[in-house]
Amino acid sequence: MNRILGRLLWAGIAVLAAFCLSAIAINRGETVNSFWLVVASVCTYLIGFRFYAKFIAAKVMALNDERATPAERLRDGHDFEPTNKWIVFGHHFAAIAGPGPLVGPTLAAQFGFLPGTLWIIIGAVLGGCVQDFVILFCSMRRDGKTLGQMAREEIGKVGGFTALLTVLLIMIILLAVVALVVVNALRGSPWGTFTIAATMPIAVFMGLYLRYLRPGKVLECSLLGFILVVASIFGGQWVSHSASWAPWFTYSGLALAWMVILYGFFASALPVWLLLAPRDYLSTFVKLGVVVMLGVGILFVRPELKMPAFTQFTDGTGPIFAGKIFPFCFITIACGAISGFHSLISSGTTPKLIAREWHAWPVGYGAMALESFVAIMAMVSACVLDPGIYFAVNSPAGIVGATAEKAVATISSWGYPVDAASMAQLAKDVGEDTLFYRTGGAPSLALGMAHIFASTGGGQAILGFWYHFAIMFEALFILTIIDAGTRVGRFMLQDLAGHFHKPLGRTGWMPGVIVASAAVVAGWGYFLIQGVRDPLGGINSLWPLFGIANQLLAAIAMCVATTILVKMHGAKYMWITCGPLAWLVIVCYTAAWQKIFSDLPRVGFLAQASQLEAALASGKVAAAQVAATQQQIFNNRLDAAVCAVFLVLVTTILVDSIRLWYGILTGTRPAHVNESPFVLSQLRPEEV
Amino acid sequence: MVSAVRSFLRVVLATLREIGDENAYQRHLTAHGLTHSAAEWRRFSEQRFRAKYMRAKCC
Repeated sequence: MNRILGRLLWAGIAVLAAFCLSAIAINRGETVNSFWLVVASVCTYLIGFRFYAKFIAAKVMALNDERATPAERLRDGHDFEPTNKWIVFGHHFAAIAGPGPLVGPTLAAQFGFLPGTLWIIIGAVLGGCVQDFVILFCSMRRDGKTLGQMAREEIGKVGGFTALLTVLLIMIILLAVVALVVVNALRGSPWGTFTIAATMPIAVFMGLYLRYLRPGKVLECSLLGFILVVASIFGGQWVSHSASWAPWFTYSGLALAWMVILYGFFASALPVWLLLAPRDYLSTFVKLGVVVMLGVGILFVRPELKMPAFTQFTDGTGPIFAGKIFPFCFITIACGAISGFHSLISSGTTPKLIAREWHAWPVGYGAMALESFVAIMAMVSACVLDPGIYFAVNSPAGIVGATAEKAVATISSWGYPVDAASMAQLAKDVGEDTLFYRTGGAPSLALGMAHIFASTGGGQAILGFWYHFAIMFEALFILTIIDAGTRVGRFMLQDLAGHFHKPLGRTGWMPGVIVASAAVVAGWGYFLIQGVRDPLGGINSLWPLFGIANQLLAAIAMCVATTILVKMHGAKYMWITCGPLAWLVIVCYTAAWQKIFSDLPRVGFLAQASQLEAALASGKVAAAQVAATQQQIFNNRLDAAVCAVFLVLVTTILVDSIRLWYGILTGTRPAHVNESPFVLSQLRPEEV
Repeated sequence: MVSAVRSFLRVVLATLREIGDENAYQRHLTAHGLTHSAAEWRRFSEQRFRAKYMRAKCC
């Protein structure tokens, strides 16, 4: 009886998913309620989790709860510890959820709500969740080894080195692009700048509190930090209204970029306990809280989507970033659909905490499904705004015109009416001077979130608070990423440099620390400055570069996963990872090719460089702009070169992997599975 | 119903304590038969942070 009821329930969920998906896909000409997206996505995740992931777990991985996990066998009370599956789930979700699933969908909303939504749902169920799950499984069966270690052991030395180099390069681009998001959000905003600046002394206070006043009381300290951060939002409002204080916190994009660069350099060299760790705790808790609040807010308000299903920008003429829906929608939304960075987390802390093998099912697949749902919420937040406002906030001056009048005229001519007076009123409501040209996604996401939060109570009166709360929430964990990323980049660089000059490899040797930190900061700082100075807004060139890099890292993870599946089962189940891998290769190679070689200057880096060169040669560039134009030409060629390097690196690992699979499948190479040996689990039920 | 809510809240709190490294610290004290002190927390957290921040934060 229970079995029949269970089958009926799952059949009902499947029908509901199909009904909601077809409703949002077919409905045209009238607004769609966001609730359809929520139900369609949740039901699809449930079906994917219950049937596809369970099939992979049972048939392909043959998960076995009697087999002791590394958490049990290598238990040390620190890293390896059998932990309750829901706690590991929360821990893993907190580790994989960053700004990517929030910013990517916001930017991709320029194509309309439908393409991004479908990619988020389908990409996650068939690609992203599978990647996270399979890599977690592989790492769990190999004593918690990292992706790089597995690449080296399963594919070969070339694979391992390529993976390391790719991660380092991706981090440089990632740090530049997330720093650009913060800079664009804080440009000319004393309220936002004060709030974010205040988080630094607050974090230092938390660090000192945790080390000397109340050691070990992390939750208590984080609660205190949260209260202070909320107080700083009110402080920021006061500062923005003060004629004498506001100028101290009002900066241009370039000035803010230099501040972030200097911050990154010093923060990465400071003791971890003083700034990074306390802010990391705080930002993680705030992130989880905001995700829950946004979910509840969307369910409570059920806002209508004002963005159409498709916009005319699917043809590649989008103002936010140029390029057609294929392939650019699929690289703009990486985290939320499939993100290579997750493979580093799935082969990091998480496999060392899994108590039973079957726990990898909800943790690996389920946590990514939840992250994908966060991306759906970000898409909803972006699409509840009037499209005219959305484009006015996200479009650069170089596309829509340098004055408010020109911008609204251009955007209205696209069929998305907006006027300067309503933009001015909206800016006033959120406590900003202007909301035009705030590229990067963060401000429009903050506007959408503020709209949803304010609709639950308080209305326009507290729109400004919620807007700055959302900006603070985004900037808080972006700064943590910058700090931690610079530090990790420094370690990687020192590791490489140590091969050439031994002292450089010592992470405690101060000259080495300074040189390596400066090199990493210079790397991402260069791209950041390039993005800030870019008349097309920076996001147009940097976000696709980051998307390509992140998806290529996912391709590397899928190569490792496929290699292991081929060694385990031959060709029988390789489609599970080869399918998403083939898709990633097609998308990334197409996108990278277009970014390098497209004839359209807004799409192709080389075409843009040629166009600028022609303008210089014909004397069309004003004398004062010659140096800047020459710099832009160089930057475009550099971006093209970086894109090409990514392609070469991934092609190397891909060719290496295909040769290995061919060898294994034809019997010319051994199919040795490097799993740790079976040990019977001794864990008692109460221990898990 | 009340017990379900209570057990849910217990899991939420335990998750927050895991994210905040408080559980790991407790395990560390238990595993080594130590008692809590400021010096021990500093020793533990330094070791923990060293390992934690060798890895990149996710995007």
